[in-house]
Amino acid sequence: MTDVRAAEDAERGRDGSEMPAAGPAASWRAVTGWMGEHYSIFILALMIVVGSLTSSAFLGERNLQNLGLQTSIYGFVTLAEFIVVLTRGIDISVGSVVGLSGALAAGLFSGSNVYLALLIGIAVGAAVGIVNGYLVAFRGLESFIVTLGMLSLARGLVYVYTQGVPRSPHAADFSNVANTYILGVPVEFLIWVVLIIVVSFVTRRTVFGRRVYAVGSNIDAARASGIPVRNTLFLVYLIAGALSGLGGFLLAAQIGVGTPTAGNLYELTAIAGVVIGGTRLAGGKGNVFNTVVGTLIFGVINDLLVLLNVSTYETEAVSGGLIIAVIFLASLHVPSWRSRLTRKKEAG
Amino acid sequence: MPMPAVSASSSEATDGRIAFEIRDVSKRYPGVQALDSVSLTGYAGQVLAICGANGAGKSTLARLLAGMEQPSAGDIAVTGYDGPLRNPSAAVDAGILLIHQEPVIVDDFTVAQNVLLQNISSAGSRRPWNHVSPRRQLTASRAALAAVGLGRLDPATPCRNIGPGVRQMIAMSRTQVVPHRVLLLDEATASATEEYFEDIRAVVQRECAAGVSVVFVSHRMPEVFAIADRIAVLRDGRLIGVVRTEETTPDEVIAMMIGRAMSAARRPAGPVGDAGPVLEVAGLSSGSATDIGFAVRPGEVLGLYGLIGAGRSSVLRAISGNQGRTAGSVRVRGTEVHIANPRDGIRAGIVYLTEHRAREGYIKDFTNTENLTLSALGKFSRFGVIMRGREQKRVAELMRAFDVKGTRRTLTDTLSGGNVQKICIAKWLETQPDIVLLDEPTKGIDIGARQRIYEAIASVAASGKGVVVVTSEAEEALMICTRILVLKGGRVAAELAPESASTDDLIRISLGGAAA
Repeated sequence: MTDVRAAEDAERGRDGSEMPAAGPAASWRAVTGWMGEHYSIFILALMIVVGSLTSSAFLGERNLQNLGLQTSIYGFVTLAEFIVVLTRGIDISVGSVVGLSGALAAGLFSGSNVYLALLIGIAVGAAVGIVNGYLVAFRGLESFIVTLGMLSLARGLVYVYTQGVPRSPHAADFSNVANTYILGVPVEFLIWVVLIIVVSFVTRRTVFGRRVYAVGSNIDAARASGIPVRNTLFLVYLIAGALSGLGGFLLAAQIGVGTPTAGNLYELTAIAGVVIGGTRLAGGKGNVFNTVVGTLIFGVINDLLVLLNVSTYETEAVSGGLIIAVIFLASLHVPSWRSRLTRKKEAG
Repeated sequence: MPMPAVSASSSEATDGRIAFEIRDVSKRYPGVQALDSVSLTGYAGQVLAICGANGAGKSTLARLLAGMEQPSAGDIAVTGYDGPLRNPSAAVDAGILLIHQEPVIVDDFTVAQNVLLQNISSAGSRRPWNHVSPRRQLTASRAALAAVGLGRLDPATPCRNIGPGVRQMIAMSRTQVVPHRVLLLDEATASATEEYFEDIRAVVQRECAAGVSVVFVSHRMPEVFAIADRIAVLRDGRLIGVVRTEETTPDEVIAMMIGRAMSAARRPAGPVGDAGPVLEVAGLSSGSATDIGFAVRPGEVLGLYGLIGAGRSSVLRAISGNQGRTAGSVRVRGTEVHIANPRDGIRAGIVYLTEHRAREGYIKDFTNTENLTLSALGKFSRFGVIMRGREQKRVAELMRAFDVKGTRRTLTDTLSGGNVQKICIAKWLETQPDIVLLDEPTKGIDIGARQRIYEAIASVAASGKGVVVVTSEAEEALMICTRILVLKGGRVAAELAPESASTDDLIRISLGGAAA
């Protein structure tokens, strides 16, 4: 495990150079360790190679812009999922929140102010997050069950509100944000990049971030150490809701209308992205960078399915199959389990 | 149930019949030489103690002897058994009975079923027609229990709610029903409190008289000296020496274990100045503790001694907000405080060092830096952002002051128990508490590191804080406390001054005898 830990230290901004052994063996271990920890980059590279070989349009400017737009929406949701998983929870309501906040933002937008629509989107997501957070943090319920209910409830509310018909906003500038490019880069993508930096900073450099990792790693020790466990958890679900809400608004802006099925199954992609990014489902371990790589992997997969004209009937099966395949690939780098077991024994 | 003696051929003049021989045994794990060509001989009718600090290899040796692991080199020969101890079952067939620190007790079984647990799995009874009827189980186990001083325990009781001491004695009762030539006690006295030690000693004496060779793995000197005929000392996987108990002293053995002589711990001086109490507890009831009251003055180290379940931990947990309370008040420097959770406790200046280090003492995935500053992050942050420079600088100071192994970036989880404990203590002191509550601060910590923990406790007290220590070791209580409360059945049974009390006093009062 030493090498993996060394690499992990390096990733989290501390170099592992104080490891006792030096010389070529140690540096080789550091390299293999780094590769082991960042295996997801290699999977991403593989996907890109496959993409550019199978489709000539893959590396074209239009497709890359499309990829950026698509991926950034997944990106918000995956960031939301990431911080929840860090606390040893799971939020499977993110996709429904995307749908609900998008539909309400589009439906309630009167044309006077786009920022108001943005605010509605975020507020709807945050409101759902508050409900989730209250039930998980203060009532001690299982996050899986709570958000499973919310998955259905939020999606149901979308159908009730839209009556199954896409809701059009009252003014066309609703979609402005999705049609704006800076130097050819979609603004939505840039917003995602900014949020990546913010979430990364919050998790790595703030008291709140330290608490999130502590709660996820060992909630009893965190409580005994005087960490406000419930407030921390509550805030995590609130932030996750707000991030998904933002994603919902931006997706609706891309499509131009609030579609009732928007965000369907996004939770699947989000969880897969988080897992492939090496975030531990049991909490307390993971970083934003790898989560972003995980998001990009699934962004590329979804993009390729469109480029290669896979029929919509097949898309879902192919996408699910690919998730399993990629996660299987990710599991191949874990010979460390064996050595960890033997090391544990000798320590005892 | 000692096995009939094997017709002995090799008899020595002084030590009698050889029961087992460990010959040049080495054990390597990846990256670690746990045992390095160790040779030991066990004689029938004798007690061989195996001593060593944590990591010295004594548990590895016990595992090899019990067939749970195989030596990398060398072999183990048991008189009367052909071939190597390839697995635990072979060890059982060879007549080796292992009683482990964590006794193997099935919660869902009755006491009788647990007494006879190994008889269910050993060779003769695997066949269904060897089934032991419930009635015979009861009679057989009743006799076995009586032999280890548990005559009043109903064999039909489910084991789920039985305390750790009794569990250990139930495991001991298997000596009466499992045929064996070698009895291997692997830290078997660690989880029981001192109250059962006399019973264990009686069992061991009877075993010896019946010709069983007893191996007693422990690092508790008083018990080793009370029980053993010979003491083998391991350090860093090597056999340092085998000495006869009557020819040595505990200090000598400890020096062999840690490779240097140990200085006697100095007891803190006692109350600093004549300030009023820093902590006053009145009428406190929580968990098994009932109506507890005491006061601690600055500089005092108050000991809470008692059996497991006497309410000692409950008192500390309730004061610090780790556990609810049903009645009672807590005053810090004369002001009543209301503490509902550990966070409130820290704010009121009360910190609690847990006895369950792995479960709630530190964060496994955190580095030393992160663990050290966890409870005092406010000091190292501005507007919620951690100031790394300040944090790193302070952590470097703390690691030096507390002599913690590893670096700031080492994962705390990879350190030894003693180092982890030092980090936990430093973490709490970083919150600048007035009152430090320590629950079994040396539990699972080897003898070399204990000294440092004792020094830390003494210096905390000397700095004018109030200290309360819960301990299960009478000797430790007498050594580090300036005043001792003995708890029994959740109530304060006596208050003693360590200068005028003995370990016997503490143990007797905790069991219910009158104060001397």
